[in-house]
Amino acid sequence: MLVNLDPNDARPLYLQIMDEVRRALVVGSLRAEDPLPSVRELAADLAINPRTVSQAYGELEREGVVYVRRGQGTFVAPGARPDRGAVGRGVARRALLEARRNGLDVEELVTIIREVAAEEENASLPAGAANPGDDQ
Amino acid sequence: MSPLHPEPGAPAVATRGLHKRYGRETALAGVDFLVPEGAVYVLVGANGAGKSTTFKVLMNLERPDAGTAEVFGVDAGRGGPRARAQIGYVPEHHGPGYRWMTCGQLLRHAAAYYPSWDAAYAEHLGRALGLKPHRRAGTLSKGENRRLQLVMAMAHRPPLLLLDEPTDGLDPVIRRRTLALLADHLADTPTTVVVSTHHVTEMETLADHVGVLREGRLVAQMPRDELQRTVRRYRAGVPDGWTAPPGLPQARRSRAGRELQWTLVGEPAELTARLTAAGAEVREVTTLGLEDAALAFLAEEDTV
Repeated sequence: MLVNLDPNDARPLYLQIMDEVRRALVVGSLRAEDPLPSVRELAADLAINPRTVSQAYGELEREGVVYVRRGQGTFVAPGARPDRGAVGRGVARRALLEARRNGLDVEELVTIIREVAAEEENASLPAGAANPGDDQ
Repeated sequence: MSPLHPEPGAPAVATRGLHKRYGRETALAGVDFLVPEGAVYVLVGANGAGKSTTFKVLMNLERPDAGTAEVFGVDAGRGGPRARAQIGYVPEHHGPGYRWMTCGQLLRHAAAYYPSWDAAYAEHLGRALGLKPHRRAGTLSKGENRRLQLVMAMAHRPPLLLLDEPTDGLDPVIRRRTLALLADHLADTPTTVVVSTHHVTEMETLADHVGVLREGRLVAQMPRDELQRTVRRYRAGVPDGWTAPPGLPQARRSRAGRELQWTLVGEPAELTARLTAAGAEVREVTTLGLEDAALAFLAEEDTV
């Protein structure tokens, strides 16, 4: 599992870690019974306070996304389903925040997202590969 | 009278009314530090704000002019040796003394002092930091010295680490590795860390408590969460000729056209309400990184 944290993200770090685990489930890089990195591994890897990692894993355990096997570590729960809704809401919240910062309302944003998606499809470019300045 | 032995449940560091002057210079002007056990406490402040003096008082290398300092309930002065036995210290200055000894000899020397010295761990740390055991202390570069000091501070797994600019002089690769080793260390050794640094951002993901020193006074001391909650950047549209409500506890502001931006300290809901009541349209309230939030307490106070 790859975890990327964004220091400029307003969300507390433990929430970012939780979201990264949910994202890994949605994209399929984590599946039921897969091990998560140990608290120590992830803490050292990200140079992050181990308590923050423990807090994230603890919350995920309470939500039934992961479980602890004594002496073996933390694993994805057999019943954990990719929560596309939760991941999608996160994307939406970030997009809305950015839109408001730029003085756009929800309707404008949704319309423009559809337009841009259609343009990218027409140009048969992979998402995100379009020239960012090309918005005519 | 504070006890001479570590007290269970006592804070890792507690000072009361700590004063220290050097001639005419005031280094500490009545400081009450409180570092809970298990905290990673980052001490922020300009040069000369009193950070190094604080460490020296806790190490009993300096006597305070007034006030008390305790380490796990033990008086840092009267209980000096017992307090120091609890501490791993990376000092501000780089020189290790014993210039004729090699790094390996210095580590064995340190090992003899600490019953809890973990030789295998010292070797692991030394390897991870690229320390060369045969090098003589007197010939070490600034960065090599720092690495040696870090190994000496951490290898006896003390309950308290006092790190005065621990990454000073380290190259970016070793700096990152040092922070990773510190995170690793915290994962398997119950440790309280007090760290002063000019690179506050590098403690962004490790620190959970913050203290801000300004000219010898502790102007802020709080858990990281509270800092993130109460220090925020507000952006608001304002009508022409708008004047701010009086007494806004602001730190910094900038203006672009009819938009104003402040860094404010206080309850976000209350501050937003006050700005709105004064006719400003609050468009954005954003949290700040550790460094920006801490710096809010060091900005010059000017009126809106």
